[in-house]
Amino acid sequence: MGPRILLVDDEQEFVQTLAERLQMRDMDSYAVFDGPTALAQVQSHPPRILIIDLKMPGMDGIQVLKQVKQTHPGIQVIILTGHGSEQDKILCMHLGAFAYFQKPVDIDQLVTAIKQGYETALSNDQKTATCDRHPRTGSRQP
Amino acid sequence: MPNHDLSHDREGVTFFGTLSAAVTHDMKNFLAIINENAGLLGDLAARARNGHFPMDPQKAALISEKIRKQVNRADEMIKQFNRFSHSMDHAQETVDMEEMVHLVAGLAERIIRHHEVFLTVTPAPVPCRIQGHRFDLLHLIFRAFEITCEILDKTPEDTQKQVTVSFGSDPLVPEICFMCDTGTASGWDTLFDDPKDRALLDRVNMHMKKAATGSGFCLCKTCKTQ
Repeated sequence: MGPRILLVDDEQEFVQTLAERLQMRDMDSYAVFDGPTALAQVQSHPPRILIIDLKMPGMDGIQVLKQVKQTHPGIQVIILTGHGSEQDKILCMHLGAFAYFQKPVDIDQLVTAIKQGYETALSNDQKTATCDRHPRTGSRQP
Repeated sequence: MPNHDLSHDREGVTFFGTLSAAVTHDMKNFLAIINENAGLLGDLAARARNGHFPMDPQKAALISEKIRKQVNRADEMIKQFNRFSHSMDHAQETVDMEEMVHLVAGLAERIIRHHEVFLTVTPAPVPCRIQGHRFDLLHLIFRAFEITCEILDKTPEDTQKQVTVSFGSDPLVPEICFMCDTGTASGWDTLFDDPKDRALLDRVNMHMKKAATGSGFCLCKTCKTQ
């Protein structure tokens, strides 16, 4: 299985079908339907990639994005929304989103973005590990 | 043209834009669900073609049914939006307010859901008909929903937000009531206080009265403002 992917959207039928299609592409994807449940999942089982809708009842996607980037900056966030203004896109990218798509999305484009996000996450992991090691011995610094 | 007319036009365009944005957002979601289900059918067909997994006819039928359901939802939304778009065709006419409440509730479903408000429209005991401009009456009902949702936003979290719309029982005194089952919210003392809302009430020659009991208000033709 590939990277763990969490999808968040209040349109249950949409997000469950998309998760199924990603699973068929060997991606470990699962869906939740609101922001608070997504944040709880991020705490208990952090995904590598988070795909979120912007407009959801209660906690919206921007709030989820902000909180995830504060607590788990290594998670790559992809916005997938039906309500996409250019201002929303600029704000999301400013807040640290990795990619931004409008519904309906081409699955191949989404999969490409997921793979790029995963590579970025792995690269960031390596940089962090290198920084943590002693410059001469290579052993982990206390 | 006098300034108040310009303001009226601007408010009307804003209302039209708000509902249009909600409807197009819904349409995007219907298309997205259709797109994913059509894609899933394609994925399953590709796997079957490669000889890995045979196509499950029941699964294919289920996906087909999901697509059909979304097409029906989209079709219903387009019909409602078309009726809304034609609401400016006539200056004055007799308007069935129960029909108008259902129309606004359908078009603004996403907006109302965004406030986590559950809406119930009870059938009118007698026809609730008002002489007026259809577009302005739709605008007034929408403002009533907006104001109710804004007030309910102030209720504590985890509170069930339930709004019931009902109609008066006297056909000569048309009345539409918006009642909240959650009575803890504040803000009921400033209903329709905004000059724009007062102007809207004036345009349709209607009044607002606060509910005698419980949390809510009624819009009526002949009632006195309280």
